[in-house]
Amino acid sequence: MIENSQPKPETIQPSASHAKKITLVTKPRKILRSVLAGLTIVTIYSLATLNNSNLQLSEAFKSLGANLNAMFLHPSVGQDSWALLLRALATSVSLAMLTTLLGALIAFFIAVGAARNLAPNWLATSIKAVMAFVRAIPTILWVLIYSVVMGLGASAAVVGLTFHSVAYLVKAYSESIEETSQDTIEALKASGVGFWPIVFQAILPSIVPALLSWTFIRFEINFANAVAVGAAAGADDIGYYLFMAGSFYFNFHEVGLIVYLLLAVAIVLELVSMKLRGHYLKHN
Amino acid sequence: MKTSFPSPQSFFRQRRLRLSVVLIILIGIYVLSMTIVNFQTWTSIVKIPAGIIWLFHNFIPTERSISYLGPILYQLWRTLLVSISSTIIASLFSLVFAILGAQTTTPHPVLRIVIRFGASLLRNIPVVAWAMILLFSFKQSDFTGFLALFFMTLGYLTRAFTETIEDLDAEKLQALQAVGANYFQCVFCGVLPEAASTLTSWVLYMIENNLRDATLVGLLTGTGVGFLFDFYFKSFRYDAAGLIVLLIAILVIVLELTSTMIRRAIA
Amino acid sequence: MLKVIQLDKTYGSNKRSLKDVNFTAQPGEVTAIIGPSGAGKTTILRSVNQLIRDDSGQILLDDQDIRQANKAELRKIRHHIGMIFQNYNLISPLTALENVLHGRLGAKSTVAGMLGLYSNEEKTEALALLDEVGLKEYAYQRCDQLSGGQQQRVGIARALMQHPKMILCDEPIASLDPKSTKIVMDILRKLAKEKQLIILINLHQVDIAMEYADHIIGINSGAIVFEGATKAVDDDVLQKIYRQADDAKAVVSANED
Repeated sequence: MIENSQPKPETIQPSASHAKKITLVTKPRKILRSVLAGLTIVTIYSLATLNNSNLQLSEAFKSLGANLNAMFLHPSVGQDSWALLLRALATSVSLAMLTTLLGALIAFFIAVGAARNLAPNWLATSIKAVMAFVRAIPTILWVLIYSVVMGLGASAAVVGLTFHSVAYLVKAYSESIEETSQDTIEALKASGVGFWPIVFQAILPSIVPALLSWTFIRFEINFANAVAVGAAAGADDIGYYLFMAGSFYFNFHEVGLIVYLLLAVAIVLELVSMKLRGHYLKHN
Repeated sequence: MKTSFPSPQSFFRQRRLRLSVVLIILIGIYVLSMTIVNFQTWTSIVKIPAGIIWLFHNFIPTERSISYLGPILYQLWRTLLVSISSTIIASLFSLVFAILGAQTTTPHPVLRIVIRFGASLLRNIPVVAWAMILLFSFKQSDFTGFLALFFMTLGYLTRAFTETIEDLDAEKLQALQAVGANYFQCVFCGVLPEAASTLTSWVLYMIENNLRDATLVGLLTGTGVGFLFDFYFKSFRYDAAGLIVLLIAILVIVLELTSTMIRRAIA
Repeated sequence: MLKVIQLDKTYGSNKRSLKDVNFTAQPGEVTAIIGPSGAGKTTILRSVNQLIRDDSGQILLDDQDIRQANKAELRKIRHHIGMIFQNYNLISPLTALENVLHGRLGAKSTVAGMLGLYSNEEKTEALALLDEVGLKEYAYQRCDQLSGGQQQRVGIARALMQHPKMILCDEPIASLDPKSTKIVMDILRKLAKEKQLIILINLHQVDIAMEYADHIIGINSGAIVFEGATKAVDDDVLQKIYRQADDAKAVVSANED
């Protein structure tokens, strides 16, 4: 409905002078509408040209229904064992924890150099640019790239995941640092305190809640990424078994069980993050 | 009172104790994870510089890679289309669900709980699992990727939209109700225009995110630019794979900059 | 003794914010800088510990020129100059005690400072200083749970923790209610007398300055128009400090807001 009024903004434009007084459409509104209209057009074009030549949609949905039924109503361990799957799940969680901790530690020090209120402008700008580039490349590609250098397996997975975590956290951390008040920093500078003591004694305590919350968000992302790495780069974690069950053995009962396991972890994470947030809200 | 007043020494001792406990737990988690994953921190870190040098030697696109540019650009374009269309279609559904599920606009509280639960379910199934669930039925087609991204996005946007609508000033809605607007008038003349720019920001953010995930989904389902990367990568044409990485990075950054610009313009 | 000689400062190309500023401030005395807003009070105060770099002149603290100091020397000098602020500038999630201890950070090595390693004596002293400003029972409370007046007193204790020769006070009572104002100003006056400190204070409330200061510096448009004992300030002097600025004031405050 909104889009219908869109095709002729140009014809309206010349007569805008006398219509000006009664128009309710401000400039941001106009931009908003054209953006939405543009996206809608792209969507329609995209749907019309979607490559589904070898696909009977009604058949496919019917088969999806049957598969969903097999997955979620009759989950089973398939050709693997509970012990194997739980161990693989533990590997995924460990992978996520390892890369988040490592990434957070490295990212904090880089973030100090990337914060405009602490570092010289040229340094902050160049670090931010490099990090934006690293961040723009999907995690899975980093893992694959490193797997050529280090061989497929844990090391490549950890390094690849950490790489992307660092880039993500540097952005988040440095923005948190930039939000600390310049005045409190100045107060300590005025009493002759050096750079690193200010960072650790003044800035760090002020931004701990923000850091924790960003780190936890990244942990959730890293868990999803760890699963993806297993599926796409053959790290020996739950993602790998998911991939094998789904696209090799076509065992949908096992896919269902693994999805349930992943959901269970996600629920635990959500509960923990709610607890953490509640803890800090209480203190603030 | 005076006798129970803690000395600063004991206060700091307690504080240090707490910090040490936290640190020990973190180190414990790290070591445990390291053992489970079977990762050697030091030997791996030492390899990183060599890895980066190797990267620059082999992944830098050469003149030869230019010949791959055609198919790469085409697949990149397809991937972009899938990310945009899945986000937009999902956002339409999300909007309806959010209006039905937000505390301020829900027609029935039970509906609200059902929608919340459903969104959380969709959101918490990793995109890999979506790809695997859908792959068998929808084969190696763009549609698999489209649906995988669609379901994920539906979960995320429903929650984001719900929260956006709930954050709106309740008094403004009451003002509309006070002049006698009915439910639909409230929603379409009050809620939507008020929330439009925030909702659009979320949509733009999701498009960025989906472009990254689309690469992964493509890798798994054999479609789009992800598939092409996998193909060149496995046939050792690293320069072409490097070109893909470079182009993806450029596309993501351009998309990020554009959506930041749009967000600022509509705020 | 603080002696400021021929201080000059230019902002941008033509706006001179300080013109040939000369004054002295004695230990054991409260010296107040008064003047209309935008006259350059804050600039003078921040030039004294070189938070703002000025263009020329001399700032002598006990015959050492602060302007000539290199980076390391400046840090050492700053450690003996306490400073308190209109907005207190404490680290709000930390306790009052920790904020007071921050006054020692400047005297520590980088590593000890980073880790916040304080000696037992320092901890005891910090608590004693909090007691001195009447806040002992708030020592373990987060600063954002304290009232404005209490936070300012923590700020004073932090400054005292530096063992200062001088305390610079940048509009210390501008955000405080009358009751807290009195408490804070009483403390500052007492400190000047008992510890023989130089207290240099920016004020925009003339009545407070008249009540508490021993020595008044009147400033208008970046130039000193009066310096002398508080007793010597009469209506004529006040008119000189504030009058011609009335038209200029409108412009300045419009710029500031």
